[in-house]
Amino acid sequence: MIEKLDAIGSQALKDLETAASLDRLEQVRISVLGKKGALSEVLKSLGAVSAEERPKIGAVANEWKRKIDAALELRKAQLDKAALDVQLAQERVDISLPARTPHRGALHPITQTTQRIIQVFSRIGFDVVTGPEVETDYLNFEAANIPADHPARDMQDTFFMGPGVVLRTHTTSVQMRMMRAQSWPVRILCPGAVYRSDSDATHSPMFHQIEGLWVDQNVKMSDLKGTLLFFAQELFGADAKIRLRPSYFPFVEPGAEVDVSCFQCRTKISPTCRVCKGSGWLEILGAGMVHPRLFDVAGYGEDYRSKNLTGFAFGLGIERIAMLLYGIPDLRLMFQGDVRFLNQF
Amino acid sequence: MRISWNWLSEMVDLKGVVTPEKLAEILTSRGLEVEGIERQDQGFGKVITAQILERLPHPQADRLSICNVTLGTGEPLQIVCGAQNMKVGDKVALAQVGAALPNGMKIDTGKIRGVISNGMLCSEEELCLKDSAEGILILPESTPVGRPLAEVLGRNDAILVFKLTANRGDCMSHWGMAREIGAALGLKPKRAAIPLLDFKGKTPVTIQLEAGDLAPQFYGCYIEGVKIGPSPAWLVKRLEALGSRSINNVVDASNLLMLELGHPTHAYDADQIKGGRIRVRLAKPGERLKLLDAQTITLAGTELVISDGERAVGLAGVMGGEDSEVRPQTTRLFLECAEFNPVQVRRAAFKHQRRTDAAQRFEKGLDPSALGLVTSRLAQLIVELAGGKVISASAVQLGGQTRKNITVQPQYFQDFLGMQVSPEKAEQILLDLDCDVFKAEAQQGSAWTVTAPTYRLDLSIKEDLAEEIARTLGYDKISATIPKLTSAPQSIYTAASASRMALLNLTKETLKALGLAETIGFAFTSKAWLAKFGMASTATVINPLSEEHEALVPSLIPTLVKNALDCWRHHFGSEALPIRLFELRPTFHSAKPEICATGEMETGVEERWKLSFAISGPRWAGGLQNEQGELDFFDAKAILEKLLESLGARGVRFQPQSASRVAAGHPLFALKELLHPGKSIEILAGKDVAGYLGLLHPGKSRELKAQAALWIGEIDWDMLSKLSRPVYESKPFKSWSEFPPIGRDFALLVKDDVTADKITQVALKAGKPLAKVAKIFDVYRGSQVSEGMTSVAVRVIFYEETRSLQEAEAEAASTQILEAWKKELGVVLRS
Repeated sequence: MIEKLDAIGSQALKDLETAASLDRLEQVRISVLGKKGALSEVLKSLGAVSAEERPKIGAVANEWKRKIDAALELRKAQLDKAALDVQLAQERVDISLPARTPHRGALHPITQTTQRIIQVFSRIGFDVVTGPEVETDYLNFEAANIPADHPARDMQDTFFMGPGVVLRTHTTSVQMRMMRAQSWPVRILCPGAVYRSDSDATHSPMFHQIEGLWVDQNVKMSDLKGTLLFFAQELFGADAKIRLRPSYFPFVEPGAEVDVSCFQCRTKISPTCRVCKGSGWLEILGAGMVHPRLFDVAGYGEDYRSKNLTGFAFGLGIERIAMLLYGIPDLRLMFQGDVRFLNQF
Repeated sequence: MRISWNWLSEMVDLKGVVTPEKLAEILTSRGLEVEGIERQDQGFGKVITAQILERLPHPQADRLSICNVTLGTGEPLQIVCGAQNMKVGDKVALAQVGAALPNGMKIDTGKIRGVISNGMLCSEEELCLKDSAEGILILPESTPVGRPLAEVLGRNDAILVFKLTANRGDCMSHWGMAREIGAALGLKPKRAAIPLLDFKGKTPVTIQLEAGDLAPQFYGCYIEGVKIGPSPAWLVKRLEALGSRSINNVVDASNLLMLELGHPTHAYDADQIKGGRIRVRLAKPGERLKLLDAQTITLAGTELVISDGERAVGLAGVMGGEDSEVRPQTTRLFLECAEFNPVQVRRAAFKHQRRTDAAQRFEKGLDPSALGLVTSRLAQLIVELAGGKVISASAVQLGGQTRKNITVQPQYFQDFLGMQVSPEKAEQILLDLDCDVFKAEAQQGSAWTVTAPTYRLDLSIKEDLAEEIARTLGYDKISATIPKLTSAPQSIYTAASASRMALLNLTKETLKALGLAETIGFAFTSKAWLAKFGMASTATVINPLSEEHEALVPSLIPTLVKNALDCWRHHFGSEALPIRLFELRPTFHSAKPEICATGEMETGVEERWKLSFAISGPRWAGGLQNEQGELDFFDAKAILEKLLESLGARGVRFQPQSASRVAAGHPLFALKELLHPGKSIEILAGKDVAGYLGLLHPGKSRELKAQAALWIGEIDWDMLSKLSRPVYESKPFKSWSEFPPIGRDFALLVKDDVTADKITQVALKAGKPLAKVAKIFDVYRGSQVSEGMTSVAVRVIFYEETRSLQEAEAEAASTQILEAWKKELGVVLRS
């Protein structure tokens, strides 16, 4: 009987080794280990064997069963691997085909630049406030020390909406609304759209400004300079320099135009620089110390006179900064709603 | 403002001290910005005077000649010339090889029709001396040969072009600029003595001031025996270089004086002044005045005029009249030098659209104490240029002049500017600027009283003085300090502006994350474009640049659609560009037909922030076309839903247009009508309609020639923001059940008019408390179900937070749900 088992076992191992498919493997398994398989059939006749012989034969049978199971597993793994290899050899994607990308959104460069500027000034204590774009002539002009028929009105060509109502020409009106609503200290940034009746390659009838105002006791002009230097270095590079030139804006005294050193010409000014046109400086800001007339309008006049209340203010055009930072060649691109422009940022 | 370097140098000793370029730099750093320097010899380099020795015909061309010219020394040069007006012996202007002429022409050696030419004989046109010229420039016989042409023509000046700020009217003259330069360089400006006339006399023309403060001073001078004629060459040249045209010697004298001292003056033909008097008065309404420019204007009655005994003869401060102008036969003159109210002059100049050089000076204010000097100088100039004799002079002044005292502490400048300024230094600077500084001798450090010179009308408060000191020392000397924070910044919990700004940014960031690009459009568009969308602006600009900039928008949709139409014009191959745009900005609404300010702060125009978007094109940005699919309603709805989720908005609902109560007359009616009625939703915020979302109406789409289906949405962001979770509140965490849920799928047959939300609502209600989620996962209409019915697949998920659910419990709940569906919606299970 043992010979019989050995014959079946070795034949099964041989068959398993040569089985070429999972089906054939199953056939061999059934033919040997199945209910009616060769091994099972032999074991059915175990009853005819003597009690001493029975454990020996049983052990041999189990040993064969174990070997066959192991061979079965091994062959199955081999065949699985071979099948997978075939499958993998067949499965290929052309990795150079276009990716199925979702749409990528974007914020307008004006928005991004505004956010960046706000972030810089927020760090030294400025808060953001906004106000209406349709504004009274009083707040836009009179309260900013630009009375009717004053030559300074020439500086800002104005859109009129009706008697005493204009589209704001700057966000100075927001500062005045803020000062009238609360007491000092005031540290605000006023971003927003402003309007001037001017339209060409470098002027847009609508553009965006950020104005800053800091009013407190004993504020100095050097505070203005330090604030703007910090801003310039945060936006244009730690080695950026600023230059203040005397100028005139009716709502400040002293007044200044502020230039920042060209960020393209860091080490050496290039006469052909597309950014600064060879001057080494970029005009980006108007600034100055708050004119006392504004304190009177705001209701701060008494404290100006008795508590040394002073302040500084500055204003900058966001488009100008955005054009510099992003290298945008034409102002008009900002407002045309062209997706080829907008999707880039 | 154009300033002559040579003229300035006569007043301040500049030569050898600074170059024009250096001066420009110094003045710019002092707040007087030089925009450019025009050198008169620009382009005249290598242009030399020469004499023609020989003129031969060109062998190849009848119209060309070969000229041999000499520069006085060296070999004669052969020049091919196309002009016909020269002859042997003529002195001409030779542009040598390497010259770059004022008109941009560059001169090279070259062959002209086979003959070598070593330069070019120039015409006045090529040298930009005249607008056009026949033939070449023939110089006077006396011209020396071999000299630079610029020198021979006296073109050795440099013109500094200033961009002056509105406060520095005192610098609108050479003398004014010389004063400023003198202070800057520590030099004393000088001028020839001006003998002062005696204004206590009586002129044959009586001066009457009838407009009070509007014209407080008038100086007159009577001259006889003048001979009107052309001005001398130096004067013509000077005026032309400074942008003024020569008229005759008397008018030129007045113009030169304005450029010299800054004051506009006027010379009348005294014989044309009727009634022997000059009156300064307000115009009569409807009065007519023929001006020097030969135009007749009709006066409103608010303008100040100069009149004689009969009629207006000049618009005060703006322009003289033709009737009394100086003409060739004039022999007697009456000179005017007056003070007019700046606002008055400015208004008149604007009203009659004549912003003359005179008006621009008057409106900025002029030194009121200089009138006698100016009149004397004018008389002196006229007598010099046109002969004649001053007969008499007189002056009328209403009231005296007061100079403003500015009180300031000596330490103020250092404290306020944040720069090193000792009281001594400050005082010196003020004195250099012609200020008077009065100090109480007794106490060291007590306040100063400073008086500004009469020509500095811009100095009236101590801050003005601080600017003078800062710009003299240089703004670069101001140190850089960071201001002290003396109170806490705004709280996002209490400052509405702070939380609002954060919510605005969150809205934009969310839309960006949803794949939309932000656009910023103008606040205005044309009325016609709005009308295409059934909309009208209630706030329009009175003086728009064009009709495109006239109507402030009530909705962002018209401009957004225009953006899409514009984008579609730019094809990539044969595909229309995908559109995914959003905009968030105010729209403008006025309840009143006429916009008018009510008080200092109220305009009556309401600004409502709206959020709008427009999408069109494939669902994916990249990938193969057949896998992309076109956007549909549910893509548009997803944007809105995700936004509401991100903002934590509560109480926003959608309903189909069929349920809308918005009718004609409602502010949002036009927007509603823009949409496909069956593929759009009305957005409700509480009880109010907050906006719409849907497909641009196919009819409108066809009318606008849209190239693809466009999904648009607009919501009132101000309403939305009120329903949104405040930005300072964090979104609360929600836990989930640790116990396994049981899901049940139902295939239902539903009548077409039963909406999906009804099915899920009924399920959740009937399946309470175990049914936690109900969602539609498939919808089918077609041949497999009968007409008018829809097959809907619903999955309901049951669970309990605290325990495992038994199958039987889910079974029982499912039964309840099925019964409710049947009872409430007539829904049956699909077999």
